Amino acid sequence: MPDLSRRSFLKATAWIAGGITIAFSARLIKEKSVSVGPTLEFPNAESGKGWLQVRSDGKVHMLCPRMEMGQNANTGLAQIVGEELNIRVQDITLHYPTTSETAPIGFTAGSLSMMLFSKPVAIAAASMRENLRSRAAKINKLSVDEVIDTEGGFVILGSPRIGYQDLVTDESIELDFENSVIPTLYTFDPTRIKKQVGQEAEPCGIKDLVTGAPVFSGDIQLPGMLYGRVIKPPVRKARLKNLNFSAVQNIIGFFDIVRDGDFVGVVCRTPGSLDKVVRSVLIEWELPEPINQEKINQLLDINVALQRGDLPSTLQDENHNPSANWDVDLEFAVQLQTHAMQEPRAAVAHIVKINDIERINIWTGTQDPWAIKRHCADDIGFREDQVEVHPMRMGGGFGGREHYEVEQDAARLALATGLPIKVQWTREDEFRVARNRSPSSHRMRLACDHKGVLSNWWHAYASGYVFYSRSRLPDWLLPFKRSTAGGDFGVSRGAHPAYKSPSIRVEYKEVDLPIDLGVWRSLNGAPNTFVIESTIDELARRKSIDPVRFKLMNIPDSMARLGNCLKRVETMANRKSLPTKSGYGRGFACGVYEKNSFVAVSVDLHIDHEARKICIDRMCCAQDVGMAINPDQLRAQIESNLVWSIGMALMEKVEIGDGQIASNNFHNYMIPRMSDIPSLDIDIIDNPTIHPSGAGEVALIAGSPAIANAIRDATGLRLTRLPIKYTDITALGSL
Amino acid sequence: MNLFVNGTERVVTGVWEEETLLSVLREYFGLIGTRFGCGKGLCGSCTVHVDGEPVRSCITPVNNIAGTSVLTIEGLQQDNEKLHPLQQAWIDERVPQCGYCHSGQIMQAWGLLSKTRNPTEEQINTFMDSILCRCGTYDRIKKAILRAAVMLQQSHDTNA
Repeated sequence: MPDLSRRSFLKATAWIAGGITIAFSARLIKEKSVSVGPTLEFPNAESGKGWLQVRSDGKVHMLCPRMEMGQNANTGLAQIVGEELNIRVQDITLHYPTTSETAPIGFTAGSLSMMLFSKPVAIAAASMRENLRSRAAKINKLSVDEVIDTEGGFVILGSPRIGYQDLVTDESIELDFENSVIPTLYTFDPTRIKKQVGQEAEPCGIKDLVTGAPVFSGDIQLPGMLYGRVIKPPVRKARLKNLNFSAVQNIIGFFDIVRDGDFVGVVCRTPGSLDKVVRSVLIEWELPEPINQEKINQLLDINVALQRGDLPSTLQDENHNPSANWDVDLEFAVQLQTHAMQEPRAAVAHIVKINDIERINIWTGTQDPWAIKRHCADDIGFREDQVEVHPMRMGGGFGGREHYEVEQDAARLALATGLPIKVQWTREDEFRVARNRSPSSHRMRLACDHKGVLSNWWHAYASGYVFYSRSRLPDWLLPFKRSTAGGDFGVSRGAHPAYKSPSIRVEYKEVDLPIDLGVWRSLNGAPNTFVIESTIDELARRKSIDPVRFKLMNIPDSMARLGNCLKRVETMANRKSLPTKSGYGRGFACGVYEKNSFVAVSVDLHIDHEARKICIDRMCCAQDVGMAINPDQLRAQIESNLVWSIGMALMEKVEIGDGQIASNNFHNYMIPRMSDIPSLDIDIIDNPTIHPSGAGEVALIAGSPAIANAIRDATGLRLTRLPIKYTDITALGSL
Repeated sequence: MNLFVNGTERVVTGVWEEETLLSVLREYFGLIGTRFGCGKGLCGSCTVHVDGEPVRSCITPVNNIAGTSVLTIEGLQQDNEKLHPLQQAWIDERVPQCGYCHSGQIMQAWGLLSKTRNPTEEQINTFMDSILCRCGTYDRIKKAILRAAVMLQQSHDTNA
């Protein structure tokens, strides 16, 4: 029986246009979304979410369940639809739903897209195919076995080809496959020679990006639209102390000032007049607590924490012996880092009245449009059905776009003025408001026997909150979540050892730092892997054992895919020999991200004393994330991650000044440029029998330790504070 | 005041004469292909050509360039049927990830190729080093520029 309410819902959104629609919305993992948290309604293995449709002209349409920020997950999902329905990706029309056009879909984060959506999408498309096949069989009075696949349709012996357009009519039908048998999934059939999956599909929408089409939220233009900006305090929860805007009235283009408590917004007729007005507003803030680097260092100091005894959270604790005969004992400091996505956030909000009911439309690039909808309703006192979020492409996300922030600015100013408002954050706003990756302080100790078999492992560290950071949840809920959630999974990510050791302790302390923190690419995966891979490398070198041999010896059989990546990358690196001159070095590192994504990286570099620079010459990477749906885009993600690892290892650090974040633009927060990029040699280990896992934040974890290990190889110095500068090498007197 | 934008004469009036070129292009003319990245000329997402030279439109007051010719990403494609060789090369090498910086990247690359038909890798590095891409697509940008150089050479040979 078709679900009538859902059908009428679909009709109301004009999505049903005749033909056959398949709804794969049933049997969700129901973790009810509350307005204060992220949207967590993901499909499970047998169901899915989103819609697929074959219209009466035979054309296939897909509603995209993922937000686009460069990872091209929807292209990968379209490849799966293409594989199942025997069509090409370019023959599928993609639609991006607003929050009023489908039920909530889980936020786009954590590299979960292919892992969670590939199978449900495959099931939906395969069910569609089999339904079409049985129609073809019925029309021709044959059994389904006699109806054979062909491109875009079927063939029957001795008859002309049957296209999908021959099997659907203008009558609209919704298939519900909730209780039906799952058909053969071509995508996951390792014996099948695939035509779409595993091929290099052109990313959907790429032409828009090279021709400058309107795809980002700042590109939205509405009649009568004005330009708004909210004056950002140095930190959240700073209180407004003094405000003087007497100078603004004479500025041409000024429209209005909106003030509500600590919220100060400006509305102008042009972006330039907005800059002038904001510059002329005199504003003083009262900070809830002082911020300076020294204070943060004190709060994080791992040795101080360890002197007080065991750390509050334990990730692993087996046969721990604190007084083991440690062969290495290193301390690490990982820096505060920010997303610095290329597009400073922007949103357009417009309130319209339909049948006397106000509705707000918000155009924004966000990783979680349904959370924006809930937060906005709560914030401006609307019902949720009065809020419609139109998700736009994001000019980079990296974990930094999950919160109701620029949308709040636009919504409040639209409500106050009754006019359509565009809010384009400045780069300075972006730096000030970003929820950065926490700095962390680590102490790691290792011991092994004379053959190099690990005997003792002790990693202790302190980090600011990652997932349960300030302002992630309301103040009344945050302490409760912090104490009951079983630890902040962002803090512990990457700290599970991939190596075996009979004695092991991994412990950590979550620190409430007085700065805004949050989710950054890989969460703490990159910092923790940096620490682990640096320490093991150091141990191997002190024992005069080749670091790759050392690691392979200590990787357990259950981590064979990791060992395989490491061996592969070693072979790749060895294809070119390193110059024997002094100052050249090669380093290796490997890691596991979220249990199922494996990676190894090698780095060749040299120290250029003339240019006073650490120069990365070459990076190799071998990665295994199971089945490679779109190898070209996997490669693109690896390239991106390797570039990020250079930034993390050698360049990026958010500076904290007097009372606030001091880094505010690209002159004082350096990110990698073209001339920093070495030659890249990438190998995707395709495992067609293994379900795809995430790839968006994998290679980053191994990149920065491989750089540190190469510096050790080149200079003999073990550098443990990120970012590593040329002057760190000369200060320590190498060479 | 007047400007020639992508070959067409356009008039800027009133309060808009006090704006940056980027603001006028995006918000007054609706040519949103040129993107805002940093507002200080540090990242290059807003790069356009003024009288044939790449400039940062976010720090260019529009009243400083009255009467000049401005070329934006929207005006790069000369042939309705065919993308500009750089745009096509960008697709062939599947360069964009988030895509935000690429109008600026392509305009800067055209600043190079329009004068240096066969750039070396070193010349590409030097000329493109000021345009940031946070996704880190630099390796593909370089490949796309080299590919476009070959395409331009071929079409030049055909036309000759």
